[in-house]
Amino acid sequence: MLIVLASVLGIASMVGAYFAIHSKSLTVAIIATGVVSLISSILFLLLAAPDVAMTEASIGSALTSAIFFLTLNKIRQTNG
Amino acid sequence: MGKKTMIALITLALAFVIYPLYQSYNGSETLKDVGQYYIDNGVEETGAQNLVTSVVVTYRGLDTLGEVTILFLAASVISFFLSFSKNDRIKSRSIRSVTEILTTSTQVLVPMIFMFGVYIFVNGHLTPGGGFQGGAVIASGIILMFLSNPRFKLSHKVIQFVESTSGIVFVLIGAAGALMMDGDFLSNKIPGFGFGEVGSIISAGAIPVIYTFLGLKVGAELSNVLGVFVESQSEK
Amino acid sequence: MEGILEITGGVFMVLGAVSLLVASIGLYRMPDFYNRIQIGTKASTFGASLSIVGVALIFPGWIPKLLAMLLFILFTNPISSHIVGRTAYFTNVPLSKRTKVDRLKEMSPGHLKKVKTKD
Repeated sequence: MLIVLASVLGIASMVGAYFAIHSKSLTVAIIATGVVSLISSILFLLLAAPDVAMTEASIGSALTSAIFFLTLNKIRQTNG
Repeated sequence: MGKKTMIALITLALAFVIYPLYQSYNGSETLKDVGQYYIDNGVEETGAQNLVTSVVVTYRGLDTLGEVTILFLAASVISFFLSFSKNDRIKSRSIRSVTEILTTSTQVLVPMIFMFGVYIFVNGHLTPGGGFQGGAVIASGIILMFLSNPRFKLSHKVIQFVESTSGIVFVLIGAAGALMMDGDFLSNKIPGFGFGEVGSIISAGAIPVIYTFLGLKVGAELSNVLGVFVESQSEK
Repeated sequence: MEGILEITGGVFMVLGAVSLLVASIGLYRMPDFYNRIQIGTKASTFGASLSIVGVALIFPGWIPKLLAMLLFILFTNPISSHIVGRTAYFTNVPLSKRTKVDRLKEMSPGHLKKVKTKD
């Protein structure tokens, strides 16, 4: 059962990673990166590493996404 | 020979290289020597219920100090480089009006998020989590504050004070163990910090104190990075 | 007695799962972004709450933490989807063709303009 859940999550994170690389819109790419880190935090939890899972969830999906969005906004502003 | 054929060939070659690794892999049922040592002696030597914390703060305390230093350097470099773009910025930003729902909910949620972060790092020796996680949670509360009030400014003086004080206290606690008890640097054996009962909130020697200051430091640094990024936003 | 509590908790969790399933079907079926976000929020908040109630019935020792989780979900889910929907509206994500009323547009025309502020 656990391995099914892990496989589903792994495939979902691969799909997210594909979107993060190949999507036309940068916003979608940033959101996909956040999704990938959220899924990997669940995978860390399944691997019995709650500390790493918490770090990944808060830094990977919240802080990095916010910083990416701020950077994207700044780039758009400077490029007109 | 197209690009896609090349990619397929490279993938195949990689699979050929990696497959023997997969074939010979069998998950280790027993722990290695170091892990076994931590499990056997960790609770007696550090008094922390959460073994990860005892490894992070006590056994590998110097590495944690290095990590905090790296984080500090990263934050400093980011603020240094983003301060260049501040000079020529026009101080008008177009801000969409924020709804009352968001401002009100921020007033309710931000204290809760801060409290959760503090809970994580104060309970670092009992439950999963610790200084880094708590600090990151506090910084995500700061994101919410920036979202609800775009003109909100972090006080750099407060951030610098919190950040430097907690860094100094962290090093001083580590040095106190080395000087006063003739132990090692960051050895968790400091007079006045008893081990207490394993599992209670006041236990594990200096670990909760170190983790509290670590959490404050990490939270201040990450919030500073966010604040610098938000401040560098401008519109011509 | 314990058995009854566990069965009730299981029923609650299944109901929550069904609600989440409805939410995911709705995400696929709904015509435009706003309908999707509303079904995604409403049904998934409901489903998560039901699942938490089910867990609370099965493990009564966890009730304080579960209550905190429930409150947090009930607080944050609607607010975040409100913000996402609002941002989508102002960045001109198209409404469905079958839309009849647009209250936000009727409310105040000045409300829609970007507010220039100086600080």
